[in-house]
Amino acid sequence: MKRAIDALQTDPASAPVGHYVALIALFAIVNGVARLGSRFAITGGCQRIESDLRDDLYAALQTFPPRFYAAHSTGDLMARATSDITAVRSLLGFGTISLVSTVFAFVGVLAAMLAVDPWLTLWALAPYPVLVILARRFNLKVNERAQAAQDQLSVLSERVQEYLSGMAVVRAYTLEPRARADFGRANGEYLRLSLALARTEAGFSPLMGLIAGIGTLVVLWAGGRAVVDSRLSLGALVAFNGYLAYLTWPTIALGWTLSIVRRGLTSMTRIQEIVVAGSMSTALTEGGLREARPGSDTPVLPVATGRGGSAASDPATTNSPAAPQIRFSHLTFAYGDRAPALRDVSFEVGPGETVAVVGPTGSGKSTLGLLLARLWEPPVGTLFVDGRDVTEIPLASLRAGLGYVPQDGFLFSRSIAENIALGRDDGGAAQVRAAAGVAGIAEEVERFPAGFDAVVGERGLTLSGGQRQRVTLARALTGAPPALVLDDAFASVDAAKEEEILINLRRVVSGRTVLLMTHRLRAACTADRIVVLDAGRVVETGSHEELLRRGGLYARLWRIQQLEEEIARA
Amino acid sequence: MPESTYDPEAEEQLGRAFDRRLGARLMRAARPHRRIITGSMLLFPLIAVAELAQPWLLKVAIDDHILKSDWLGLTWVAGLYIGVLAILYALRTLEEYLMQLTGQRVIHDLRAAIFDHLLRLEARFFDRNPVGRLMTRVLHDVEAVSEALTSGLFAVVADVITLTAVVAVMLWIDWRLALVTFSIVPILVLVAVYFRLNARDAYREVRRRLARLNGFLQESLQGMPVIQLFVRERHERERFGRLNTDYRRALFGSMRWEASLYATVEALGSIALALLIWYGSERIVAESLTFGGLVAFIQYTNRFFLPIRDLGAKYTVMQWAMASSERIFGLLDRAPAIVSPPAPGPRPARSGSPAVELDAVWFAYDADDWVLRDCSFSVAPGERVAIVGATGEGKTTCARVLNRSYDVRQGRVLVDGVDVRDWELASLRRHVGIIFQDSVLFAGTVEENLRLGADGAVSPLELARALETARAGFVADLPKGLGELLGERGANVSHGQRQLLAIARALVYNPAVLILDEAMSSVDPESEALIRQAMTGLLAGRTSITIAHRLSTVHAADRILVLHRGQVQEEGTHADLLRRGGLYARLYELQTGAAPA
Repeated sequence: MKRAIDALQTDPASAPVGHYVALIALFAIVNGVARLGSRFAITGGCQRIESDLRDDLYAALQTFPPRFYAAHSTGDLMARATSDITAVRSLLGFGTISLVSTVFAFVGVLAAMLAVDPWLTLWALAPYPVLVILARRFNLKVNERAQAAQDQLSVLSERVQEYLSGMAVVRAYTLEPRARADFGRANGEYLRLSLALARTEAGFSPLMGLIAGIGTLVVLWAGGRAVVDSRLSLGALVAFNGYLAYLTWPTIALGWTLSIVRRGLTSMTRIQEIVVAGSMSTALTEGGLREARPGSDTPVLPVATGRGGSAASDPATTNSPAAPQIRFSHLTFAYGDRAPALRDVSFEVGPGETVAVVGPTGSGKSTLGLLLARLWEPPVGTLFVDGRDVTEIPLASLRAGLGYVPQDGFLFSRSIAENIALGRDDGGAAQVRAAAGVAGIAEEVERFPAGFDAVVGERGLTLSGGQRQRVTLARALTGAPPALVLDDAFASVDAAKEEEILINLRRVVSGRTVLLMTHRLRAACTADRIVVLDAGRVVETGSHEELLRRGGLYARLWRIQQLEEEIARA
Repeated sequence: MPESTYDPEAEEQLGRAFDRRLGARLMRAARPHRRIITGSMLLFPLIAVAELAQPWLLKVAIDDHILKSDWLGLTWVAGLYIGVLAILYALRTLEEYLMQLTGQRVIHDLRAAIFDHLLRLEARFFDRNPVGRLMTRVLHDVEAVSEALTSGLFAVVADVITLTAVVAVMLWIDWRLALVTFSIVPILVLVAVYFRLNARDAYREVRRRLARLNGFLQESLQGMPVIQLFVRERHERERFGRLNTDYRRALFGSMRWEASLYATVEALGSIALALLIWYGSERIVAESLTFGGLVAFIQYTNRFFLPIRDLGAKYTVMQWAMASSERIFGLLDRAPAIVSPPAPGPRPARSGSPAVELDAVWFAYDADDWVLRDCSFSVAPGERVAIVGATGEGKTTCARVLNRSYDVRQGRVLVDGVDVRDWELASLRRHVGIIFQDSVLFAGTVEENLRLGADGAVSPLELARALETARAGFVADLPKGLGELLGERGANVSHGQRQLLAIARALVYNPAVLILDEAMSSVDPESEALIRQAMTGLLAGRTSITIAHRLSTVHAADRILVLHRGQVQEEGTHADLLRRGGLYARLYELQTGAAPA
């Protein structure tokens, strides 16, 4: 451009302007393509890193026990997996591009400017140090005020959450005026703070224009004088102006870039916390000292051989591996530093035996199952499967041998078939159907328009509590695990349905080891043996008849349930 | 996100970029701030003039001074330039501030309006709309609306003014040169629209996949024990990996369009520049254009392209904003179903009519799933009545229809002989107080929590008496006494203490009819004894309905109603009912049997 204008000035008639014009267009296209290429490369790379980071985070999250989930809210973890990862992407993507291009822009433009006229360069750059300092100061202030506004927004959001979730109380106490005033105060304060931020920002953003303007001014004035004195060509002056314009944006962006880098680094730390904790928990549960012995990778619980077999195999007739023996030995356990949930519990479930554990709410029934599956870690030397301490059994093989029905029927928003087949790798359609049959849910599912492909969840089918429980039961039955743990599996099922499931189940579970935790004594009374828990202690053991004769806690609970049934029938 | 129950995909619907009906509503929302808006609109032409003066000064400097070697004149122009810069800076700062001011005020007002509206909506609305979704309306959607005003309305007006001025100046300097520049505009618009449309589709895909990814993640976090129990870690990890890759691909796709757009526009700009120099040089040769004119022209061209390039981005912003406003106005348009009657009838304190009466009431939360079926009972003034029954028999529902949290389907609910639908809502709820024993305490001091809703001044003496009756003596032992701050949901007092505070609050609130929804809460035996004493103090000499989950607390009631299948099945005193050996007797045996021996 400089050349073109100079040529025009010196010899307007014969200037090879067309030549320069073609060059400008060519450079524009090369610039565009290069920029596009680098953009694609850098952004694509960053997105890959982001994607890997998210995969790592997810893998780490999978290794944590329920204790971790009790301590971290879903919201917090989601925030780490979403906004923190986005912040890291900004750091890598925008941050890198911006830093690199700033450096290149400065080096390139400075070189070009120095080549044209060193003195003018000095003049043109004179205001920059001042402006950089000014921008920095502004930036600090903007950050500070933005933080204040952000904090107030959290306060506001707490207010809204508090009142909206307590609407019943708000209504009953006619608290509307107070809620309105309270919200109004927080809302007003947020307005005040965000306007304070706006005042600072309003001065900040037009700075860019000011910088560009001052650059032009200096070049115009000092450069104009040079042209007047014939020390500089007019083309050089115009080109100079153009170069300066290139510098404006990176200068302004520098402060912004730095804050993105800072945010990104903080987020990276937060993500790393989880990922590192994840690898440590894997080390603890999988690779700990006690498992470092050779041969520990062979499954202790025999895995069902029928799993890979014919798809038509019925769980009832599947050739189940030998049922294991489960033994609790002087087990005392407390969640964190709370009072012990189990105190000195000892009993045994023989191979192929069905043992029911009953007791009032909070007596520690569910804890037994959680410890057996090592969702919570039991103390060493208190819980044995086939004579082997569960803490020494690799998690995967321990759990693969257990059919577990947890208390809350958690289902994924996937099809019913997928939910049931979650149990095992090759849950074929026939297996799924068979398991659903035993759980007493198959006929109902088949009545849905989409049958087993019906999707469960918010945007799909809403199952009743009883239906959910039966699906989770079917899930536990697929793959014919040699041991079953049923944690209050029938709580939401009505008595008639329960009867049906029990009949089916009895047929299926023959030959398997079953630990049945329940507060419904009807489900417990047919077990081989009943263990009565109260406040974490075993208070009675025996068969249904024995326990009724004894007239203790079990007998009393039995009477209560009969009364409940009478009332329900009334 | 605080709530898990809202559907992330539904929140991601794009709206149309402009909808006349919504536009009109937005204007109405902005009307209270029309002075500021008019003020900033007036700034736009001034800014345009100051902006366009810069290249003009450059032209003057080059043509009249530099080329004529007039250094003194150049200094004058430079001085003028400084002046223009200073004015422009001031104007822009003011403009930016006014824009923010309008936006933030609109946000403030809309938030207040939405919150206020939510407070008036009925319980049924809250049953169907999770708190998380409503919070999104109050906190985030309003920001999109303000964005629509600032990035949409303001920016469009500013751009139109600037563009018009630039076009005028360019035509004035050299109309032929101007036409050469404009020749590139149709291509530019085509390119911008083409890329933008593709980018928008790609972006929508990004949102959809992100929603899917986050939905999966959230579900995994909730169902992690199940995944672990069934040894599905690897399987789920692969699934997550696939969703993650899908998302990355979509993201890359959208980035590709975006980056290509900018690169193309920039290249086109440079080509326009080349055209300018080429054609401009001919004009200079023909002596119909000056050097300064050409330089100024080049700068004008840059200002000409800027708004056109950003047009697409603004279009997208407007789409989001419209979708958000649609949701906000949809919420604001939802009229509250339960309101005071237009002219609340004078309340005839009919002597002799029962304090509270349910007359053949039918009620269902959903469709025909009746909770109360033809339910009738009445409570005389000063009488202490207890309602008992198994869970899910409609006990709490009775309380809810009494203070009009819900309206009955059939039948009537009468308070002081007047249908609750003829009562002024606030005075009904002052008259019939429901006390949730396991109650929500709000963030604030103990005293503020006690005074909740109580109208007029409550003397310190009355407060002290209420605390004493409620056996809430522990307040005196708190470091700051009544001034002690309670955390969210009263986190820093124990469960039992919270119940005592709730009872004290009920005493301060002092309604004519007290409904006590007794929570089945597990507190230590010591606090339970205290709470029982406190409740006796609360109920003394007051018309009250205790909804009892524990029969041990109803002995003292004047009359006990046994609710079963949505109707009053038995009624009488504790002794009567026990003697009768019916439902109550069985319930009683059930509960006493359940108590630890």
